[in-house]
Formats: sequence, structure tokens, C-alpha cells
Amino acid sequence: MSDEILRVENLHVSVDDTRILNGLNLTINRGEIHVVMGRNGAGKSTLASVIMGHPAFEVTEGAIFYMGTNIEEMSVFERARAGMFLSFQYPAVIPGVQVGTFLKKSVQSVRDEELKGRAFRKELNAAMATLEMQKSVLSRYVNDGFSGGEKKRLEILQMLLLKPTLALLDETDSGLDIDALRIVAKGINSVAPEAGCLIITHYQRLLDHVEPHFVHVIIDGVIAESGGPELALKLEKQGYEWLENPAEA
Amino acid sequence: MKYADMAVPSRALHLWRYTPWTRIHPSKVEEVPNASPVSFTVGTGGELIEGAPRIIDAEDIGRVFLSELASQAYTVETSGEQNILRVEAESNGQYTVGHIHFVLKHDVAVILHLKGQSEWTGLHITGDVGPNVRAAFGLVNDLDTETKLLHCEDWNVHRDATLELAALSIGGLRCKSDVRTRLTASGAALRQAISVHGLGKRHVDHHIEIHHDVAHTDSSLNVHAACDDRSHSIATGLLTIAEHANHCDAGQVFRNLLLSETARAEAIPELEVLADEVAAAHGAASAPVDKHQLHYLMSRGLDEETAIALLVEGFMQDGFSTLENEGFVAEIRAQLAIHLEEELKR
Repeated sequence: MSDEILRVENLHVSVDDTRILNGLNLTINRGEIHVVMGRNGAGKSTLASVIMGHPAFEVTEGAIFYMGTNIEEMSVFERARAGMFLSFQYPAVIPGVQVGTFLKKSVQSVRDEELKGRAFRKELNAAMATLEMQKSVLSRYVNDGFSGGEKKRLEILQMLLLKPTLALLDETDSGLDIDALRIVAKGINSVAPEAGCLIITHYQRLLDHVEPHFVHVIIDGVIAESGGPELALKLEKQGYEWLENPAEA
Repeated sequence: MKYADMAVPSRALHLWRYTPWTRIHPSKVEEVPNASPVSFTVGTGGELIEGAPRIIDAEDIGRVFLSELASQAYTVETSGEQNILRVEAESNGQYTVGHIHFVLKHDVAVILHLKGQSEWTGLHITGDVGPNVRAAFGLVNDLDTETKLLHCEDWNVHRDATLELAALSIGGLRCKSDVRTRLTASGAALRQAISVHGLGKRHVDHHIEIHHDVAHTDSSLNVHAACDDRSHSIATGLLTIAEHANHCDAGQVFRNLLLSETARAEAIPELEVLADEVAAAHGAASAPVDKHQLHYLMSRGLDEETAIALLVEGFMQDGFSTLENEGFVAEIRAQLAIHLEEELKR
């Protein structure tokens, strides 16, 4: 049996008639960490959103296979229940909905089972301890009044509880201080061995804590270059110019 | 003035624009029909006494009508032994009416649970919050889904006192509420919060008046209405700050969540500010379910129906977020959670 988790084939995506992805190909196997880098507007977040099934994006050509199945017809919640997880760049603020309630409903939905209170609390406490989170966060409203770092930690907490098979992390490292970055990386590393991970980032610094197997660069909606961790280091030093205009480099 | 001498109010008036008197009157508009009394039961920490001072605005047809209809009135005095006093109001019979007056001399929260299956219910609540008292009063309208409700409230908040007023409107078919609070002495404060759940053909009209009679008084009003199906929510707010009532701080926020294309919601804040050195603000917003919030919840495995139900609950719970009495708010929120859970099962 193949360990393939995600296969993106010749993916073309538009939003409001604007083409964003133009024939992107990518395969992620279990235990692999892939990093996607690129300039703002290159299509990185679109890739994560469209894999997760955001209704605003239209797949005009190509296909996405998850665990060997074309997921074109699957809605967002079905993808989540199948084991896909997206850590949002800008998580929604939901006033009035307590974090504890939200987490319980979410885990219950994904696992499709009634949670036993005590066992869930134990699991929740352990995950929160890993991320060095205060219990008081459970009675706060989802992302309401949260700092950037608190929002990202809550995203990772959800990931730890939902135990995804495919984890998509969209700029989870942005806005984090060094300590928060280390903690978030710890969360990613704990999920990564059993999952496929796609990390979207602008910076090398997360990769000091999370070692990727592959680094890809998206330019104009396609993967223009792939390599190992050394590619991220090169991009950090030289930027994207050498890839965009190779003749001038 | 007697009801018989009063003219039917014009729909040009702010108060009667959306729910005309003819639509909330129980029978023929010229009649004062016979009505049976609402049955009140007061829990531990309070005493129900026959008789109550009639605080009637002779100009207001609703209050005059209720006073002529109610043959009995009651006063509730709190003993100060309980943090939360529960009052049950049962309304059964064709037409029912009740007048209950609260004398709040201790720090206490009162929750009045209104239920029953009458065709029409009239309820007049009045109250005084004594000097330096921290009081809360919550009305849970849990009437049968076919009941018409005419509800008036009049509160006086005295020196250095704070009143938290909550209303959870989850019952009744056509409901007209007219809630007026006077901040009568300096240091008086009002925090008022209303959450409405519009379902089916519910028509819920809240008219809220807050009067800053003197300087150094504060108020806030927070109205959240979630409207589904063909329901209609109206909230009109009249905030007055008297001349020389400087250094007042008053704010009103009205938010409507529209859950269907046929649901309607109106939010009309109105300010009459005659003093110069005050802070007075108001805002109103109506919107459908936020797509980003919905997508976020669905990306966590919640199907669309469950995600929307959670957003509605959050929206309505958030209506009470400006109130500070935690035990009181928790109890009102629990009533809301029970209601929404029951609705989900239907």
C-alpha cells in the first residue's frame, strides 16, 4: 500500500475569473514535511485553501487526490472529517463561542463519536501543556481579543486534538516571537511523523525548528523550483529574483 | 386619563410604527376585556406582597391599558439572603395580565421566567433600585409560540446604584416590549442587554428608553437579534440626556443576524442629548452569517447546520457580554442554551 496522502495534479484555480494556480503538481507522502515559499500573491494560500475546499475558489482544471480519492465533490466539513486540517493564516474570530465548547464540538465531529468528558479533559490538558497554554483560554471566546501568538497556538492546539492525516499550515509562524515559534514547532513536530505536512512560510526561522524534507517555490501559480532544506536557506539569502529572471542571475 | 378617552396612537409615532396598537391589543381596540391574573411564584430570598405603587405614564396607552386590565398588583421585596431570586410567572387563560413591582434594597439578581399558553399576556414590571445597590433583573420570555405579549417595564435607578437588565426573548408570537429606565441621581448606572431569537413568524418589537436625568450617570444598551424564517425583530432605542446632565457616558449597539432571506430586522437608535459635556454613541448593523466564521467552523468538521447553530448561539450569548454579574449571566445563558438545544431537536 502506498503511503501517498496528497496528490495534486495539474491544478488550475481561479477566483472571480482571476487565474491563481496554473497547473501545479505536488505529492505528499506520510511522514513528509513539505514547505512552500514564494512571494505574496504567488498562490501559496490559495493552494492550501483549495485543498481544504474553500468555496470561493474554482478548480478549472486538474484534480486533488487525498488518500487516493479525488476530493472534488467533498465539502469542507467532509474533508475535515476525513483527516484534513488547515491552520489558518487569519483564524476567524467568533464572539460568544467559548474555546472549550468549540474544541469539544470540533473533536466530536471529526471523530464522529460522543466524547467521554474525563478522557477528553485529560487529552486536552496534555495538549495544552505541550503548547504551554493557560486553562483560562477555554472559557474565552474563539480568537476574540487574542494576540497573534495566542491565535496561532490555538490553531496548533486544534491540530493536536484533531490528529490530522494531512496538516496544512498557512503562515503559522507569522507574528510569533521566538518562544512561541519554538512551542508551535513542537506541536508541528509531534504531528508530523504520522501525517503529511504542508507548511507555507516566508521565513527560514521556522525551519530552524521543523526540518523539512522538501522545499518548493511557487511563482505565477506553479512550482518553479523544488529542493531540500538548503533551498530555503538560499531563498533567505538571495530572494526570488534568481528564479524569476534566471538569465539575469 | 382613562383608556376609553385615549385615541389609538398614530403609526407616525416612533413607538407605534412597527407594531401598531391595534395589532397588540388582545381584542377589539375599543374594549378593555376581562383578564385573569398572571400567577407569580417567588423563590427563596424574596417575599410577594399584595399591592404595588402604580407608576403610570398617563400619556402611554400601553401602561394605562395594563393598569385598567390588572385588578391586582404585587410587590416583591428581597431579603438579601440570596444572590439570585427566581420568580415564576405563569400565564394561562385566554387573556392574562399581571403587575409586579420590585423593591431592590440589597445586592441581588432577580430572574423572572415568563411562561404559559394564554392567547394574550399583559405584563407590567416596575422597580426601584435603592441607593448604592448592585442589582440585576432578567426577563426570560418563554411563552407559547402562539401567544401575544404586551410588556412594559419601568425602573428607577437611584444614587450610586447599578442595574443590569437582561431580556431573553425566545417565546411568544407577537411581542411588544416597552422598557424605560430613569437614572435619577448621580452615580446611577444601567447596563442593559437583550437577545432575541426570531423563528417562524415571530414578531418581536423592543422599545427601549433610557433617561439620564442628572449628571454623572452611565448607561449601555446591547441588543442582539438572530432572525430566521419569516421572523421580524424591531429595536428602537431612545436615549435622552437632560440639560445640565453633564459627564454622562451612554452607548447603544444594535446587531442583527439574518438567517434567511425572508427574515427582517430593524434597529433604530435615537438620541436626544441636551447637555454639552457627554459621551454618547450608537451603532447598528445587520448582516447574514459571516462566511469566514462559517468556513472556519466547517473546516473543523462541523456540518453547515451545526456550524450555523453554533454561530447563532454565540451571537445570542454575546448579547449578554456587557453584563458583569457572572452568576446572573450564566443563568440567563443556560436558559438560552436549553432553548436552542430544544429548537435543534425540532
